[in-house]
Amino acid sequence: MSEDTHLEALRGEVRAWLDANAPKTWREDYKAMNHAEFADAQRTWFRTLVEGGYAAPHWPAGLALGSGRSLAEQKVIYEEMARADTPRLLLSFVSTYHAASTFLECGTEEQKARYLPAILQGETWCQGFSEPNAGSDLASLKCKAERQTRDGREVYVVNGQKVWSTMAQYADKCLLLVRTSSEGVKQAGITFLLMDMKAKGVTVRPIEQIQGDEEFCEMFLDEVEIPVTDRVGAENAGWAVSQATLSSERGLTLMELTYKMRGALARIAELIRKNGLEEDRGVLRDYGQLVTRCDEACAIADQFLQNRIDGIERVGDASVVKNTYSRVLREYSLLGTRLGGIDEQYRAPIVYGDLTTGNWMADFMNSYAWTIAGGSEEVQRNILSERMLEMPREPKNWVL
Amino acid sequence: MIERAELHDAAQKAFPADQLRPDRKASWDLIAEMGWLLLPLPEDAGGLGLGRDAAAAIHFELGKVLSTAPLLTALLTVQALAAADDLPDQAGWIERLTAGELVTVNLLPADLELTDSGSIRLSGTLPCTLDADLASHTLVVTGDLAVLVPLDGEGVALAERRLWDESRRLFDVTLTNHTVAPELVVARGAKVQTLVAHLESNLQLALAADSLGGATAALDMTVEYLKTRKQFDRPLAMFQSLKHRCADLKVQVSAAEALLWKRAADENASSVDFGALKARASDVYRIVAEEAIQLHGGIGLTEEHPINLFMKRAMLNLQLGGSLDTWRELAGRQALEQYAA
Repeated sequence: MSEDTHLEALRGEVRAWLDANAPKTWREDYKAMNHAEFADAQRTWFRTLVEGGYAAPHWPAGLALGSGRSLAEQKVIYEEMARADTPRLLLSFVSTYHAASTFLECGTEEQKARYLPAILQGETWCQGFSEPNAGSDLASLKCKAERQTRDGREVYVVNGQKVWSTMAQYADKCLLLVRTSSEGVKQAGITFLLMDMKAKGVTVRPIEQIQGDEEFCEMFLDEVEIPVTDRVGAENAGWAVSQATLSSERGLTLMELTYKMRGALARIAELIRKNGLEEDRGVLRDYGQLVTRCDEACAIADQFLQNRIDGIERVGDASVVKNTYSRVLREYSLLGTRLGGIDEQYRAPIVYGDLTTGNWMADFMNSYAWTIAGGSEEVQRNILSERMLEMPREPKNWVL
Repeated sequence: MIERAELHDAAQKAFPADQLRPDRKASWDLIAEMGWLLLPLPEDAGGLGLGRDAAAAIHFELGKVLSTAPLLTALLTVQALAAADDLPDQAGWIERLTAGELVTVNLLPADLELTDSGSIRLSGTLPCTLDADLASHTLVVTGDLAVLVPLDGEGVALAERRLWDESRRLFDVTLTNHTVAPELVVARGAKVQTLVAHLESNLQLALAADSLGGATAALDMTVEYLKTRKQFDRPLAMFQSLKHRCADLKVQVSAAEALLWKRAADENASSVDFGALKARASDVYRIVAEEAIQLHGGIGLTEEHPINLFMKRAMLNLQLGGSLDTWRELAGRQALEQYAA
């Protein structure tokens, strides 16, 4: 079978499976739900995807049903998900991307064997990276861990605070960055730990976002004991591990998101029709420009993945993809908000689901998460100008 | 994509980045020598049989140096004539064109009057006919007819329209009751629409590639300038406000370029898709050029410094082949149809 025939066959399979299994009324359903019901709905959709073999197509072969897909196959799957307009997996996102890639790239055999299958069985991970005074400047984190022997066990005792942890209120486990040393450069004393969210001393407080969702949380850690065996990589070598965690989201995630955004252009077409603006040239121009911008975002995400596969990824490439996606997402949700008129200004119930909720004002507000989270747009600009364009760094002569 | 990388390399060697607006005649000779006129032709017509992206790679590189050579029209018309099997002596035409004879074409729609009383006569103006002073003929499309018109023929007059962008030469070609020679009919009927779609797509792709090559060069030049120019005891490139602007430009150029190569390789892309690409690419060129002049400060306003040349070409590219507004609107309509309720 040629590559093309094979991919078209896969497309048919995925489409048929989605027709039979994808939730159809999720937009309406989600609007009527409280936060806990939303989490349940997400777990159900994830379980369905696991059974269908589409939950972790990006994992290496042999790890799960449907894993080990080629890049081209993954693309087909994402395109079909976008076409079928399925809900995004907010709850299991950190688990299948960040946690999985951490274990795969840096975990011990034991950690892989313990945690990867558990993810597919529904064990949910969150991320404890950011802190109140270390957002985009992650290397400045202060949450402290001390190695001690307690009741005959070797543990890290952790004290500190974390913030912006997505869906932490529903998580079973946490990818945690802590400071174990203050010597040397600030990246050097960081250690990567795996924390049980039910451990004594962990307090989670959801933070209400500007659109009323509780997508992220702050966490207070008070004398939390974490076994030394639940460390990834060496002590004080957590910075490199965290880079493996974060780099996982830049390729595949953004490809999935850009294709979803491209597919969701249909929602703006609906709005244009609903408002009888099919012949409004100004609106058509804005829509046409947005379509091209979405195509652009897809193209740069594709190119990024291809470069990664070919081993020719350059420093800054990921920043280009992220800044493109986040800007196009802003343009997309802004046009929707504009065309939606006053309706979009009436407050909706909680509307989880990132760019495709269909509540334009909520999507517009949520788009800021992409220009701020995961390294703000400004931090990406620094990376781009200093690493890619080789412009000089600002002198470090600033004193408090 | 190996072939494309080789073409980029070859073009960079033939047209080095530090020689902007290279001499027109010398460039044209070099282009013929490099065999670039054969790029898009099928192998059985003596060409290299390369895809659309090969021609785009050359236009991209020539855009970087603000090429003055008539390659844009040459590649467009040689492709069109190679596809036009109604043309008597098609093989002879291809041979002459690949040897350096030029057929040009108008880059904005013409308003022509056609009369047919045994012989076909054309009257009207063909605006924005590129490089008409170097060409033997121009390719004229009207309704369901495509013909070649000799530029020294009876009832044909050329008038150059001087441009702000002196790297290109545009002419109004005026036809007054010009009689079409039967042996110069290129296509009739339904075939004309295929030819037009082909011509349109290739034109838009060429302009998009030229735009992004130019944007790349203008951005490079600007970043280099900021690294060397000192103010307030620092290189300007050290100021974050300026670095962030350059980073934003880099993001836009990179994303538009990714779309360029993806679309060039997409056999299902429509001429509207290519037009939308050109609209975006030329808009990115305009944005980069605007910022480039500002970031150069006073020197950017002078004729002596070459950065202004990029701005002039960027603004012209916005217009050639149809405006930003036109293509955005068409892209919007196409998407509305795609998502038909």
